Amino acid sequence: MIEVLNSLKYTFHLVFHPFDGFWDLKHEKRGNIKAALAIIAMLCITFIMRRQLTGFIFNLNDPQELNIFSEVISILLPFALWCVSNWSFTSLMEGEGGFKDIMITTAFALTPMIIINLPLILFSNLITMPEGAFYRFFDSLSILWSGALLILGTMVVHQYTLLKTLFTSVLIVVGMAVIIFIGLLFFSMLHQMYAFVYTVYLEISLRM
Amino acid sequence: MFKTIVVLFVFLFLISVSIPARAQEPFFSYTYDYWGEPVAAPHAYLPTERLDGLSLGVGCFRIPRDLFVSDDGRLFVADTGNNRIVIVGEDLKSATVIENFQTQAGVEQFNQPEGVFVTRGGDIYIADTGNSRIIHLDGEGGYVRTIGAPVADIIPPDFVFQPSKLAVDEAGRIYIVATGVTQGIMLLDAYGIFRGFMGASRVTPSLIEIFWRAVATEAQRERMLLFIPTEYNNITIDDEGFLYVTTDKLTFWDINHAISARSRDDRVAPIRKLNPTGVDVLRREGFHPPVGDIDIDNLRQSLLVDVSVTDYGIYSVLDRRRGRVFTYDPDGNLLFIFGGTGGSRLGTFRDAVAIERIGDRILVLDSSRAIITIFDITEYGRLLKDAVILHRTGEYEASTEKWREVLRRNSNSDLAYVGMGMAYMRKDMFSTALNYFRLGSMRERYSRAFQLYRRVVTGQNFGWIAAMLFIPVGTFLFVRRRNGKLTGKRQ
Repeated sequence: MIEVLNSLKYTFHLVFHPFDGFWDLKHEKRGNIKAALAIIAMLCITFIMRRQLTGFIFNLNDPQELNIFSEVISILLPFALWCVSNWSFTSLMEGEGGFKDIMITTAFALTPMIIINLPLILFSNLITMPEGAFYRFFDSLSILWSGALLILGTMVVHQYTLLKTLFTSVLIVVGMAVIIFIGLLFFSMLHQMYAFVYTVYLEISLRM
Repeated sequence: MFKTIVVLFVFLFLISVSIPARAQEPFFSYTYDYWGEPVAAPHAYLPTERLDGLSLGVGCFRIPRDLFVSDDGRLFVADTGNNRIVIVGEDLKSATVIENFQTQAGVEQFNQPEGVFVTRGGDIYIADTGNSRIIHLDGEGGYVRTIGAPVADIIPPDFVFQPSKLAVDEAGRIYIVATGVTQGIMLLDAYGIFRGFMGASRVTPSLIEIFWRAVATEAQRERMLLFIPTEYNNITIDDEGFLYVTTDKLTFWDINHAISARSRDDRVAPIRKLNPTGVDVLRREGFHPPVGDIDIDNLRQSLLVDVSVTDYGIYSVLDRRRGRVFTYDPDGNLLFIFGGTGGSRLGTFRDAVAIERIGDRILVLDSSRAIITIFDITEYGRLLKDAVILHRTGEYEASTEKWREVLRRNSNSDLAYVGMGMAYMRKDMFSTALNYFRLGSMRERYSRAFQLYRRVVTGQNFGWIAAMLFIPVGTFLFVRRRNGKLTGKRQ
């Protein structure tokens, strides 16, 4: 428990010192998988809170249509896909990070989304429409910051050059698309197989 | 115990008997909320009467295609299939017929006239579609002139002139909607001379189009269209000379996109309000653009075919596909929807093609059943309309009362919530106003009210807010200074 908390506290250092931060995260064992999962869980909670509690002026979601399941999936699925795709490519491309390192790095890279968005929910309840520029600025900042950390994290954990990291990142995104495609194909096949077996069963049972 | 149960049952029985059988209205009335979901609403209009050729003593209508109510209250029907114009008297009981007219060349007849228009002076203009001409008659039905197919360089020689609907403005200019014309409305001057097309929306070129235009040859550039092809199906002119035109040629996908983008421009607009130079000036400030039904599925958007404008700019639009009438206020807020398709019940249509109004009554012409249905405004409809009008004329106190009454009858009315919010804002009751604006999903107004509310709250509680800001900051600075001293000592 203590080490999880220490690890979470470490994120505040990490987001401002990404190079040292990610290095120590891996080599000084500052991060652990439990902390990573805690961050993802908090991210899910942040997004649900953001959806429900953002000020009326900036909240364009229908409050009657909250689906916590799909909210959680919309975070978990890209996270899992990124990690798997990242691991698949980097293990072929002399990356030094293992799957666990990738998961920890990715989760820790997403902390700006939590750190910025939580106060932003409060902030959005105190501002008016003309001041929305600030809201949108911080909103984009959280995404850009997390994106930058994600790239830097990948770079440090696999010991790549910047150029190679960017190239790999593109490959990872393509890989994510391929995984989704294969997944859909798989389920479609499964459904067709089921339909076939069911038709055969129906045919036989009706002829008996 | 047994006694109580018996009493209870008798009581229940009495209650069930005493509930009166409700007269079943032929359609559901509804409106759309901010999210584009249809929500139930009280009836704003209900059918009360029907007019047909037989009851008027002029024989059955056959595929009538147009209605027009003149300034003196007479109702003109373009009885297309019978090649005649029927004029119904003010009392809606009797009718006269114009079947032919006397020219110098002899007696002439109409051929499938699809449109009729009467000027303030009483002159009758008839779109004699089958004969490719416009007939101008005076108030007594006497022949004045014939206006034939327009001639101009930009009209191809093989063009077949099929005028369908028309309007004439105060200056005598004639605006014609003709079948197969995609350049917009044909504009003729008072002498019947073609002056050009108007009302087709201009192309706003994208970057790619600008690029292609730059690399194209002169001849290619000539052939590039400068307008988006627009085929209008109807035209109505209001008291101020603005033209309301409708089109049903927009694709489902375009309309669906305009709805989801909450579009406010005229690029995808089944209704346009054109000023005399042909520029669209319709306000689309509602939650959704005025396109008829919002919650459209199965690729079936509303097909808007006619507009009727009341004073104060409230206008009703007729959807031919589902036989519904959509009424909007001048800002484009949806007020109410009524009507529907169906069998032979009064108030439903098989093929609704034209809408007109006499005062607060709305008349809808069903071409297939050849009858005119008259709708009368209900108490709810009257309240809503009055509230909108009072609000627009600046009588906010009076309008608040009306909005409150509207809300008592329809707690789904976003417009009424916004109206109430405006009233409370004028009384400087900002937190109440905030609540109403939130209920009415009106973010712009909410933001404005919130700004004022925030100013008041911060003004009243300045001491507390300052303290809450200064205590943590002060503590932080103090601790830091002490720590600094400590480390200083260490060194």
